[in-house]
Amino acid sequence: MRICIFEDEKFDQLYPLVYLRPVFELRCGATSLYEKVKRNYDNMEICFFMRPQLVDSFKKRNQQSSVNSLDDLKNDDLLLLNARLLLKEKISPASEEIGIKDDAVAYINIKKETINKVNFFHFSEFLKNVLQILPQKEVDLKLITYPWDLINNNGEAITDDFRSIGGKIEGELSPQAAIVGDKSKLFIGKRAKIHPFAVLDTTEGPVIIDEEAIVHPHSRIEGPSYIGKRSKIVGGKVREGCSLGPVTMIGGEIEETIFHGYANKFHEGFIGHSYICEWVNLGALTTNSDLKNDYSTVSVHIKDRLVDSKSIKVGSFIGDHTKTSIGTILNTGTVIGVMCNVVGSGKISPKFIPSFAWYLNNNFLKYSLRMQLETAKMAMSRRKKELTQEDIGLLRYVHEITKEERKQAVQKSLM
Amino acid sequence: MKKDELEARIKKVVSSLLKVPEEKIALSSDFVKDLGAESIQSLELVAAFEREFGIEMDEEESLEVKTVGKAVEFIGKILKEKGKLGE
Repeated sequence: MRICIFEDEKFDQLYPLVYLRPVFELRCGATSLYEKVKRNYDNMEICFFMRPQLVDSFKKRNQQSSVNSLDDLKNDDLLLLNARLLLKEKISPASEEIGIKDDAVAYINIKKETINKVNFFHFSEFLKNVLQILPQKEVDLKLITYPWDLINNNGEAITDDFRSIGGKIEGELSPQAAIVGDKSKLFIGKRAKIHPFAVLDTTEGPVIIDEEAIVHPHSRIEGPSYIGKRSKIVGGKVREGCSLGPVTMIGGEIEETIFHGYANKFHEGFIGHSYICEWVNLGALTTNSDLKNDYSTVSVHIKDRLVDSKSIKVGSFIGDHTKTSIGTILNTGTVIGVMCNVVGSGKISPKFIPSFAWYLNNNFLKYSLRMQLETAKMAMSRRKKELTQEDIGLLRYVHEITKEERKQAVQKSLM
Repeated sequence: MKKDELEARIKKVVSSLLKVPEEKIALSSDFVKDLGAESIQSLELVAAFEREFGIEMDEEESLEVKTVGKAVEFIGKILKEKGKLGE
């Protein structure tokens, strides 16, 4: 049997987090959605179907070849999994069927012989035809539909991920560091260092400090939390429900927030209930609201309209390569696109800042893409990473598809 | 609009944004070196020119506009194409 992870048509509800990556690369818990599939279907061949614009960049980054290849759908039994699936445990359907959750296909279990009877020339046609021949059943699985779903499920997902690794101390734990709660809920990976006067609190859930991560003095980490490989906590509070991808620097206070990786929030300031993508730099004292003063539910800009999250705690969703200046104040439920520059002016920023826009003195401004790419190259080279031609191609595509919303924002501020 | 008026309006925009007296602004004035524009003010200048003249300036080409004279030339060209600039 082969596993096939596919993006469905609802990927754009997860913008700006998925402009530069397929949905299954989003992080929830200590791992990405994809890594959870991989863990549950160990040693099985996995192929991918995603937006065509992502393919070159994805292949280059992951050295993957089984992407958008129709041949991967033939000659084997298949278990197709929606890329939005937050997998808790292995799905093993006994018979050929389609699992449906909230009117979306969560999975399809299909035999080679049935596939041979299906005519298709592209993936969407394959899905459409399979939907007509296999029985469907409602299933109780989790699909990530909006960005805040990642946040709301993060704590539980960290606890689930912890079960597969268990408590272990392989790195250096200073005798002057304090562990509050059950030590068996603590994982400290190889070459990780916990300095004196750091506090790791496992009372409410596990704390995972991955390989080569460093926790500086006067840092408090509350579980469930995950500190990714080579990340640093440079003092401050990492409160419950936080996940940091690799090479992320955190100071100040964060709560129920996911940093995808390679991001900086080095200084004071609060970030809560947020998802921050790669290569984001949050200037000192950047702070977001994640709760309205009237405790009403937070609406978030999704695809040109405001969607009620039905949650009272929602922070910010910030796309890759975006930077905020010192003292930036972000409103509850703010969405900031890819490669933006947000300059704080003492006022609360708007709830939506389109990709590649600069926000300065309460105005939206446009800036040269060429110069922004140069800045990104420089930022990445500092961490020994390369902005590849494939990445540039994808960024140019995103620049193009976000042109109209950027133009509207600039024109509005010219009025 | 005549070229004289264009030049005067550009100087007025520059003066207002960069807080430099109009009489100190010449066509040869470099926005950064002579008029003290910060890097982010150059973006604000583009927005201010767009607002003043109701035009759209390409962000890549705008990078080459480093003096007041270049701005007159660049904006003049756009206005001419739109039939809004006389000889």
